Amino acid sequence: MSGKAPTPHGNVPCARRARGHSGAAAPGSRAAVRAARGGEGAAEERRAVPLAAIFVAFLRLGLMSFGGATEGWVYRDIVERRRWLDDREFTAGVALSRVMPGSGGVNLTVHVGRLLRGGAGALFAASGLLLGPLLVIIALAMLYARIAGHPVVHAVLAGAAAAAVGLTLATAVKLAWRGERSVGAVAVILATALAVGVLRWPMVPVILGLAPVSIGLARLRAKRRGGDG
Amino acid sequence: MAEEGHALAALALAFAPLSLLSFGGGGAVVAEIAHQAVTVHGWTRPDEFADLFAISRAAPGPGTMLSALIGWRVAGWAGALIAAAALYLPSSLLVYAIGRLWGRWRGSAWHAAVERGLAPLAAGLILSGGIAILRIAAGGPALWAAAAVSAALLLRWPRLNPLALFVVSGALFGLAAQWG
Repeated sequence: MSGKAPTPHGNVPCARRARGHSGAAAPGSRAAVRAARGGEGAAEERRAVPLAAIFVAFLRLGLMSFGGATEGWVYRDIVERRRWLDDREFTAGVALSRVMPGSGGVNLTVHVGRLLRGGAGALFAASGLLLGPLLVIIALAMLYARIAGHPVVHAVLAGAAAAAVGLTLATAVKLAWRGERSVGAVAVILATALAVGVLRWPMVPVILGLAPVSIGLARLRAKRRGGDG
Repeated sequence: MAEEGHALAALALAFAPLSLLSFGGGGAVVAEIAHQAVTVHGWTRPDEFADLFAISRAAPGPGTMLSALIGWRVAGWAGALIAAAALYLPSSLLVYAIGRLWGRWRGSAWHAAVERGLAPLAAGLILSGGIAILRIAAGGPALWAAAAVSAALLLRWPRLNPLALFVVSGALFGLAAQWG
């Protein structure tokens, strides 16, 4: 299961690379591409991740995703530990997975699986992520008659979920810290958290409203630095 | 057999449209899942649905796995698989297609600008995701404190395994409930 896979992407790296060089972003050298984080050179190397490894990695992540912590686990495991993705691919994936309909965690998993190994990667990643929770939830349903309404069980689950939220919050802080620390970027982070998290405005219009502002700011910053995109 | 096939088709038809309507995450369609399961099809009683919802919140994974639980009640394992596929397949195919389209422009200057511009938005969304869960949990300031302490510990000691924190925090809350 190793080596080049017959994925939908298997035959496009040349075209993709050529486009990269014609654009403003990638000035030649591999080091420059890596420095830009998320360059296409790095992306092509990652196609060698075996499908079995993708499946097992996401099986673990699925079983550990309590309290909406999927994004935190994907960041910790896939980006920080395994280095299959970089920060920018991850955050772009999070934004895409949240703006599209469906569970954000499942969407992110499909997206990451696709980046790693195309269609097969997406399939293996998503089935890995969903298999564990599916089995656990049905096992819990079988047990439920015995544990239902038990206040201690409820408290244990609430406590574990709170710690899981801690992982989510730590991921957000890390991303903010490692990303661009300009006034504009910090303002966008706070505005998003305020609108969606605190004021509970519907997420899709908030994203659609803030995205052009944030993208414009990023473009301005890049131009001011000398157009490295 | 024909009856079971009928039930599976009904599950698929009830849940597949919700897949593409769950903007803002699975939470958006839980009310509609309830409507389909309780009112339209009579798959569960209202009080049973509340139990199933509680189970789905205790289990790992997306909250919409609730649909698989309903499928399992209706038609066993086949029902669980069909219900999960109905809820996750359409949205997954959509995100796959859009992501692929997006990847085609990799390398252009505006692709990079868009990805950089989305980064702070993503950080803000992850932050709001945490806040939203704490709000739903409705466990008072102790839960917020536990979340904040866990976050601080993970930032201070990045190698710390979050699972250990889940266990410790769960145990502390359990003990507090027992003797509090």
